[in-house]
Amino acid sequence: MKMTKIYEGTHQWIMFGRDENKPVNIIDSNQYAVRTANRCLLLEPGGSELFAPMMAAVLHHAPVEQITDLFASHQDPDVISSLGLWDQALSNAKLHAPAIWESFLRHFGCESIEYVPIPDNGGTIKLESVELQLIPAHYLHSSGNFHVYDPQARILMSGDVGSALEAPGAPMFVENFDLHIEKMRYFHQRWMPSNQAKRAWIERVRNLDIDILAPQHGRIFKGNDVKRFLDWFDALQVGIAV
Amino acid sequence: MNNQTKSQFVAVASITSELSAVMVVAKEISLAAANAKAIAFRAGDKAKGFQPITDFINELAKETIELVTSINVYALSLYQLTVNEYRKTIAYNKFELVVKIAKDAPYAQSMQPPLEHAKLSMELCQRQFKRDVKQLLDQLEAVMHHARAARVIAANSRIEASQAGEYLQSLQAVAESVDKAAHTIHDNVQRCRIALSLYRNS
Ligand SMILES: [Fe+2]
Ligand SMILES: [Fe+2]
Repeated sequence: MKMTKIYEGTHQWIMFGRDENKPVNIIDSNQYAVRTANRCLLLEPGGSELFAPMMAAVLHHAPVEQITDLFASHQDPDVISSLGLWDQALSNAKLHAPAIWESFLRHFGCESIEYVPIPDNGGTIKLESVELQLIPAHYLHSSGNFHVYDPQARILMSGDVGSALEAPGAPMFVENFDLHIEKMRYFHQRWMPSNQAKRAWIERVRNLDIDILAPQHGRIFKGNDVKRFLDWFDALQVGIAV
Repeated sequence: MNNQTKSQFVAVASITSELSAVMVVAKEISLAAANAKAIAFRAGDKAKGFQPITDFINELAKETIELVTSINVYALSLYQLTVNEYRKTIAYNKFELVVKIAKDAPYAQSMQPPLEHAKLSMELCQRQFKRDVKQLLDQLEAVMHHARAARVIAANSRIEASQAGEYLQSLQAVAESVDKAAHTIHDNVQRCRIALSLYRNS
């Protein structure tokens, strides 16, 4: 599992991904950790196949007992099917996930972890002095879906939005936006169901000050590429399967 | 899923199915007893020796049904234990893998308590499973005992039936069906015991 520090300030953001030992038929995913002095939050902790390499990678940054919070943007298996294993590894942790998915996500096993349901209008996660905002992103692509915005680091973890289907071992950051478009087009057209939801999200996100847009698959957008992505996504017709 | 776990799932599932067959047969015995009672009543003095036997058969059938009902509860808990043990074993194996991959990580040591905890809870499940299997085997033994008793009664019924004149044939048919049912119960329960005995001391 590769680890990249994408923000270093009073706290840190670490991206995990491009696991070399991942079975080929499983979609590659990006996991993120927000690390404060005594706590660690894992965003989109990943599928159960990824649990061992992910946990091992996190141990480079935090001890198990300081992993106090998990966040799942939505209910997909690539996001959170590892829940049953985290549940047995962490003795004092919370899962922040959409309220509407609670009874579904519990199928993965959630006994010792406390499920903190995120209401439809969003909320916050407080990690020591860091406050993260949970931005509604419903129907992008899941009907109950949130992104995580860190106003201090100016990072938006955007779940499946901004994702790209890439060859194994692709770089962590978008280097040439125009070349990157083709890797994103089909994914957004096919997985994102609603133009209306897309418009509402773009309106909301344009009001945020974002340096880094960090999706759950593919590469991270930095600086001007963030705006380029929003403009491109704004113009794209989605929901093409009907 | 390894073969050991797989066969444990199969063993537990097969008990449930064997037991539901036992239930059906026990209900048949109970019906045969009611039938015999009616015939014996009509036969009057000719089937005097048969009457207490029918009550006995009925009692036996009722007890068997009660026993199987309580065994089913055990079988269900065995199933839940198997599922639990499976989950804990997967977690333990994954945690071991974490420790292996993370050996250079500064916080690798912090994985020890969860690893230890996973091991303990996996072993607890295994012990509980063995304990429940033993209890279930004892209860199955009781059902076997009932089945054997039913066969003895069936043999007695045949003798009594031979004195029942024109009712001989219908009473013999009753004895026959009790014997057959007891035989089936015996075989089914025996299969349960064989399936489970693997896990008593494994
Ligand atoms: Fe998804
Ligand atoms: Fe995804």
